[in-house]
Amino acid sequence: MATQTLLSFKAGRSFRREGSSFVDASPVKGSLELLRGDDELLHLLWKNRATGQVEDDLIIFPMEAQFLKVPHTAGRTYVLKFSSSNQRHFFWMQDLSDSRDAEYATHVNGYLADPEYDPSTAAGPASSSQQAGPSAPPAPSTAPAGVTEDQLAELRALVSQVSQEQTLSQPGQSYSSARICFYTKRMSEDLSLSDVLTPSNLRPLFSNPRLLTAVFPHLPPDLPVPPSAESIQRIIESPQFQAGVRSLDQALATGLLSGLVKSLGLPEEAGLGVGPFLTAISRQAERDHHDESGQDSMQTD
Amino acid sequence: MSDEESGWHLTESDPGVFTELLKTLGVPLIVDDLYSLDPSTLASLQPLHALIFLFKWVAPAESSEASVDYDDAFEGFFANQVVNNACATLAVLNGVCNIPGVGMGSELRGLVDFTTGMDPQTRGLAITSSEFLREAHNSLSPPSALSLADLDLGPRDKEDAYHFIVYTPVNGVLYELDGLKRSPVRHGVFPSTGEGWVALARDVIQKRIETYPPGSLHFNLQAIRTDPLPGLRRELEALQAGGHVNLAQQILRQISAEEDKRQRWAFENSLRRHNPLGLIHALLLGLAKAGGLEAATTGAKEKMKERIAKAREEAAKGKK
Repeated sequence: MATQTLLSFKAGRSFRREGSSFVDASPVKGSLELLRGDDELLHLLWKNRATGQVEDDLIIFPMEAQFLKVPHTAGRTYVLKFSSSNQRHFFWMQDLSDSRDAEYATHVNGYLADPEYDPSTAAGPASSSQQAGPSAPPAPSTAPAGVTEDQLAELRALVSQVSQEQTLSQPGQSYSSARICFYTKRMSEDLSLSDVLTPSNLRPLFSNPRLLTAVFPHLPPDLPVPPSAESIQRIIESPQFQAGVRSLDQALATGLLSGLVKSLGLPEEAGLGVGPFLTAISRQAERDHHDESGQDSMQTD
Repeated sequence: MSDEESGWHLTESDPGVFTELLKTLGVPLIVDDLYSLDPSTLASLQPLHALIFLFKWVAPAESSEASVDYDDAFEGFFANQVVNNACATLAVLNGVCNIPGVGMGSELRGLVDFTTGMDPQTRGLAITSSEFLREAHNSLSPPSALSLADLDLGPRDKEDAYHFIVYTPVNGVLYELDGLKRSPVRHGVFPSTGEGWVALARDVIQKRIETYPPGSLHFNLQAIRTDPLPGLRRELEALQAGGHVNLAQQILRQISAEEDKRQRWAFENSLRRHNPLGLIHALLLGLAKAGGLEAATTGAKEKMKERIAKAREEAAKGKK
């Protein structure tokens, strides 16, 4: 069940300048990619080409978003616009030539409307990340597939005040620090610690006295009952603890907890989301096990 | 002043939280949930000093304002609500500070004396600026544990605005103390015999509940009352000394039930004060070492897929 790359092209991101409707292009070289993930969902990713890091990963449901050219601007800017929310993500094409811009947009919209989209049926050749050929497809119509004139008009009204301060050949120095919109996923789309920290999942821990004792120092110091598997189970089932777990889920979904996770002895990547957090903890457990078995040769249970 | 700027945390409005707050303020009373207003329930909770009516706030209809009997010359303690997050503490103070002869710690006494003669708005501002009071209020929420405010998660789902109203007798008159109204509201005199003020309070509250469409009102009732434990313990001693075994057993059961409830409150309060981050990490790490993290994560992924599928379904339905 490997992830399948559907489309990939060079693109940078642009950010709304705080307190205004200006959108400034970020000069960072990147690529926009569409994947079908191993969760069977459509992912739209932005990858930093310099570091190879995926910095944005959006899960998009069919017909939830459109990829539209921003009119009345000098550059090759596109906006990913969601129908159900105010989320707007701006991108600019980074291929030297603009000859394939419309084609890419067509394919993006094709996939956004229908994950089973077959690019070979659309104007232009099939897109794949492997294709590096310079073949020039016939130019598709102005409106990307699946977008009506009404929607285009709506978009023009939406961005009528958006302008670019600089042409894209000299990407601007400033870009908004409001990157938060890229990281915040809807809660339901992400893995949740609340589903991991259940009494039944924790049974292997509860039945291991040595490991359980290591948890005791982290219990509330003024807990009116002695620490035990029972009291820990009671804590896990309490509304107060569950609210705390939900807060952490939400905070991890922002991808901004790199600073906080360091205080737990975890690497920065652990703060990028629930998945990375759990992965880092797995590795931490392995490292500790290594250290412990290196120190004493007695059989541990 | 916004909630964020005020420094007053959002807290749960739970009898365990209120009782702990009173303890911190040196007031020897407790707060209990009221599940019924019938005479026998109320009788069992005597001595009762005030009732707190907590409900989802809805702006009152224009017409109902005309018939409200405001007592603009009220001489007791009444403060306006100035900061939303402080509303529960404010309600408790409005209730407690009008109880004749009520005991309180020196800091609260000082604050009450300081605000003597002030109008409700000014008194509300004074209360909200009181650092010791704010600290007492905040002590039952965790220290900005995960610094979520710094992350600017964007508009939070607006929690429903709940509002508190206190009903309490002052000088033979039943008053309604609502921090969002300009003055206390008179609800009439009550007989000094029988159930006394609580019977009138019951009528007033029930009438209020009836003004909402049936099933629409989410509310909660709590009572500020004298702590029954010291009295029960004295009674137990006397009964045991007198050899009244059965009666002593009954009292013992009551004491037990009351102590269990206090322990539950203490348990919940210790969690409220606690930053759970370290514990969450320790549990996950322990689970990983016990070899159970992978299975748990797989299960969680399944649940996530179910949620997504459900959301898709609902989105598709909505679009039809």
